[in-house]
Amino acid sequence: MTRKTLLWLTALPALLLALSVQAHEPSEPMEGDEKPNCSKMKDMDHSEMDMDDPVMQAMMEKCKHHMDENDDGSKEPQHKHSESEGDAKRKSTHDH
Amino acid sequence: MVSPRLMSCIKCLIAALVIAIAAGVAFIYSGLYPVGADDRHTPLTYWALETLRERSVDRASDGIEVPADLDTSERLLAGGADYNDMCAGCHLKPGKAESDFTLGLNPAPPNLTKQHQSEDDLESQSRHRFWVIKHGIKASGMPAWGAHHDDERIWDMVAFLRRLPELSPEQYQILTARGDDDANHH
Repeated sequence: MTRKTLLWLTALPALLLALSVQAHEPSEPMEGDEKPNCSKMKDMDHSEMDMDDPVMQAMMEKCKHHMDENDDGSKEPQHKHSESEGDAKRKSTHDH
Repeated sequence: MVSPRLMSCIKCLIAALVIAIAAGVAFIYSGLYPVGADDRHTPLTYWALETLRERSVDRASDGIEVPADLDTSERLLAGGADYNDMCAGCHLKPGKAESDFTLGLNPAPPNLTKQHQSEDDLESQSRHRFWVIKHGIKASGMPAWGAHHDDERIWDMVAFLRRLPELSPEQYQILTARGDDDANHH
């Protein structure tokens, strides 16, 4: 067995072990990338929504990006991934 | 000058104390106490543990300054995602009445989706919650999150807990989902 093969045999398990430790790092207890179900907002009673309520503001903020994405997707699919939210805001300001 | 009768009484008390300590140590070493989580505590033990916990947290959290900006959308979003990742398994979420942890832990972790009537005023409750999240509680399953989370991040969770009992399952899902755009939250 060559020295290079031995090196691989020791380095690969060490790398896998290091990655598994990183996956359980307590400072990053993330469960995954579940997306907000913003379509549920459309079913809510809008007359009872208080726009000054921080809960409502947080939901709007969370879903704004996703709704913008959907709108862009239906109107200008070619710009969907090429334009950030900040760029879009700047563009709309410049348009006026 | 101490009378012989008083001296005799003191000796008796000391002897009783030594015997009580020896009996306590013998009981600990005997292995007779059931430590299984599925063996419920007696009401007296529950009372002693809860009183000890409440008094200790009350004293330790006294003097903690609650930030004035807890009721903001930014804090709700930041705290909600962390709550879902770190706390919901034990302390539940809207639409969920029990989990393996609530059934298996003893004492059972409090259901934070319910508004507890006996809780103190909002400021005091926030101080308690901040302290408990940061320092944890010994032998209860509640970890000390302060080791890897700074104070602001813990206050975000406290802010979310204030509004949690009012949230519907749909609102909870939207507020707590990290999604792709939250991947750089940390």
